[in-house]
Amino acid sequence: MRHDSTSTGLLWIGPWLLGFSIFTVLPVMLAVWYGFTDYTLLEPPIPVGTDNYTRMLDDPILGTVLWNTALFGVLSIVLGTVVSISLAVLLSNPVRFQSFWRAAVFAPSVLPLVALAVIFKLGYDPEVGIANTMIEGALGWAGVRGPNWFGSGFWAMTALLLISLWGVGPAVVIYLAGLRDVPKQLHEAASIDGVGRWGRFVHVVLPMISPVILFNVIIGIINAAQVFAVPVLLTGEGPERSTYFHSMYVYDNAFTFGDMGYASALGVLQFAIILLLTGAVLLAGRKLVYYRGA
Amino acid sequence: MDETSEPTSDPGIAAISRRVAIGGIGAAAVGYAILGPRPARSTGDGRIRLDYWEKWTGHEAAAMQAVVDLFNQSQDRIFVNYLTMGGVDQKAKLAIAAGDPPDVLGLWNRNLPFFDQCGAIQPLDDLRSHGIDASSYAKAVRPLVFRRGSQLAAPSTPSSILLYYNKRILRECGWDPEKPPRTTTEFDEMIAATTRFKDNGDVQRAGFLPSDPGWWSWCWGGFWGGTLYDERTGQAMVDSPQNIAAYDWFQSFPRRWGLERLRAFQGAPVDNPTPFSNFFTGRLASTIQGPWLPMFMETEIGKDVFEYGATFFPVAPGLEDEPPYGPIETDILVIPKGARNPEASLEFIAFTQRQENMEMLCDGHAKPSPLASSSESFRANHKNNAVVAHEELLQSPNAYTTPWISSWDEFGMALGSGLDTIWNLRSDSARRPLEEVQAEVEAILQRAGARRERRGQRDPWLDLVEGA
Repeated sequence: MRHDSTSTGLLWIGPWLLGFSIFTVLPVMLAVWYGFTDYTLLEPPIPVGTDNYTRMLDDPILGTVLWNTALFGVLSIVLGTVVSISLAVLLSNPVRFQSFWRAAVFAPSVLPLVALAVIFKLGYDPEVGIANTMIEGALGWAGVRGPNWFGSGFWAMTALLLISLWGVGPAVVIYLAGLRDVPKQLHEAASIDGVGRWGRFVHVVLPMISPVILFNVIIGIINAAQVFAVPVLLTGEGPERSTYFHSMYVYDNAFTFGDMGYASALGVLQFAIILLLTGAVLLAGRKLVYYRGA
Repeated sequence: MDETSEPTSDPGIAAISRRVAIGGIGAAAVGYAILGPRPARSTGDGRIRLDYWEKWTGHEAAAMQAVVDLFNQSQDRIFVNYLTMGGVDQKAKLAIAAGDPPDVLGLWNRNLPFFDQCGAIQPLDDLRSHGIDASSYAKAVRPLVFRRGSQLAAPSTPSSILLYYNKRILRECGWDPEKPPRTTTEFDEMIAATTRFKDNGDVQRAGFLPSDPGWWSWCWGGFWGGTLYDERTGQAMVDSPQNIAAYDWFQSFPRRWGLERLRAFQGAPVDNPTPFSNFFTGRLASTIQGPWLPMFMETEIGKDVFEYGATFFPVAPGLEDEPPYGPIETDILVIPKGARNPEASLEFIAFTQRQENMEMLCDGHAKPSPLASSSESFRANHKNNAVVAHEELLQSPNAYTTPWISSWDEFGMALGSGLDTIWNLRSDSARRPLEEVQAEVEAILQRAGARRERRGQRDPWLDLVEGA
C-alpha cells in the first residue's frame, strides 16, 4: 500500500518535477559547466579549466560589486529589520481601522519593481521630486537643500536603501504572526516583576520572535545578494560604479559583454556566498535564537 | 481490486480519475509539444515570410514600416513581417544561440565586431549582384560595414554629430552667428561670451555643456586628433596626450562653474523635459547633437520658431584646416547565421539600399543618407537645413566611430566609470583616471586576444578596410 501511494504521489508531482528538472536543475548544472568554459553564447563553449575562477582574483570590478552588494545587504537588512519589527509592533496594537493599516503596509510590496523604479525616479528628481520637496519643506528654513540623489555614489546608494524599505510588507506580516505567538503570560509575569514596556520588548518579545527574525534575515540575505531590477532601472552602475551590484555584473557579462563563461562562474560564486552566509547565520542562530519547546 | 483503492468509497472511480487526470496532463503536454504554435514560414497566399527585428519605435519605426510596406507591395513572393522591440541586440544573441534567429536584424554598427567575430552573421557580398558595393556608400561609412573586403552589413540610417547653436543668443552676445568657432580656443571664448550667471553665482545659461545630453562621452579625444584605440596595432590609446588634453577640457566645465552648480543647472525644472529641452529653451547656447535635432525642434516648439545654426564641432588649434572631425554611427541591417531564407532577406536588404527607398527612410529619421551621394530633392526637402554638413562629415577621412573591437561594451563601460571620476572632480586632471581606464582596457583587450587565440580567429587589426 505504501509503495503504491508513493508512486501515485510521484505521478501527481511528476509534471512539477519535470519542469523543475528542465528549468532549474538543468540550467544550474549547465551554469556550473559553463563556468569552466569560454562561452560567448554565439559560439560553442571551449573548456578553459579554472581560468574564470582565477580571473576573479584579479578582477577589480568584482571587488567593487561585491563591496557594493555587501554594503547594500548589511544596511538594507538592518534597516529593513528595524522598520518591519517596528511596524509590526505598531500594527499589533489595537487601533481603529487596523485591517486597513495592515493592508496599507503590505500593499506596496505587490507593486511590480519596474513601476516602483519609475515612481521613485520621479520621486528622487532633485528639483521637482517629492523627496527633496519634503526635505526642503522641513529643513529649508535652515538653508538645507535636497541632494542630487543620483549624482553621487553616496546619495545613489542611500536612495536605493530607502527604496528597499518599500518592500517590507511581507516581513511585517510574518513578524505580526510571530508577535501573536508570544504568550500573554510572559508579558504579565514580566509586568508583575516591574519590567517596563521597553524591557518587555527587549527581554520577552525579541527572544520569542527570534526564530522569525532569523527567517527574515536569511530571506533578506538572499534578496540583497540578488538585488538587480531597481538599480538597473533607476541608477544603472551609478557614479563611478557606486551602485553596480553582483547580479548586474553577472547579467552584463552574460548578455552585454558576451562572456557567458565568466558570468556563469560569477553566478556560482554568488550561489556559494549565499550558501555560506546562510550557513553562518544558521550556525549563529543556534546560540542567538530561542526556540520555544526545543 | 488491490489495497490501494480500498480507502475510497468507490475505488474504481477514484483509480480511473487519477489515471485519467495524469494521462490527460501527459497527453496535453505531448500534444502541445507536437501541435503547439510554430512560427509561420509562409503567408496564407504562399509568400515566403521574413521576420525582421528592429529596434526603433515611434516615427523611426514608422519610417521603416513605410519601406517595408513598399517592398511587400512591390512583389508577390516575399512578405516582410516587421517587428520592433527593445534590447534587440541581446534578444538577437539569444535567438541566434537557440538556432531560431530572425531573417533580418537591425543592429547598431558598434554591435558588428562582436557578431562578426563570433561568426553570427552572413556576409552580404551577393549585394553586388544588385549593383551594391563599397563605392555605393559614403567614404566614412564604408569601414563601418566592410571588413576583409567583404560586406558584413548594410547601413540603414547613419548619423554624424555636429555643434548646433542658437543664432539669436550668439548675435545678442556680439558673436557673428555666421562665423561659428572653428577651434576649441575660439569655442571657449564663445562659451564665456554666451554664459550668464544669476546673482547668487548659479549658472543661468551655459554657453555649452559636454554633459548635455552626454550621449557621446567617448568622442572628445577625436576633436584633439586622438583615438581611443589604434586599429592598426590593436593597442588601447586611452591615456594618449590628445585624450588627456580633451578630457582636461571636459573637466574644465565643473571646474570653472562648480560641480554642484552644474548639477543644479542640469536638474532644474523645465517644461516638457527632454534631452533637447535646455537647448530649445535657451538655457544652452550651443549643444552637440545629431541630425534629428531640427525634427524634435519642430515637434516640441514648432516649425521655424528657432533660429539654429550647425557646424563641425571645433577642433584643437592646428586641426581646423583639415577635413572635418566628428563622431559618426550607423544603424545596420544584417542577416543572422541560421536565418531560414538568406536569399529573400538579401533581396529585401537590397531594396532598402536603393536610393529612393534609402532617402525615404533617412528623411523619416531626419538623418543624412549613407550612400555615396544623395539626390538634390533629398537635400532640398530635408527637415535639417544642415544636412549637407552632416553628409560632408560622412565623407571625411577624419570622421570616427567606436573602435572596431568585440569588447567595446566592456571598454565603453570602463571609460564611462573613468569619466565619472573626471567630471566629479575626484582627480586633479584627467591623466590619472585615464591611466586607470587604460590599464583596465588593456586587460579587456588581453582577454579578447586570448579568446581569439583559443578559437583560432584573426586579430581584427589585420582586417582593416580591405576592399572598402
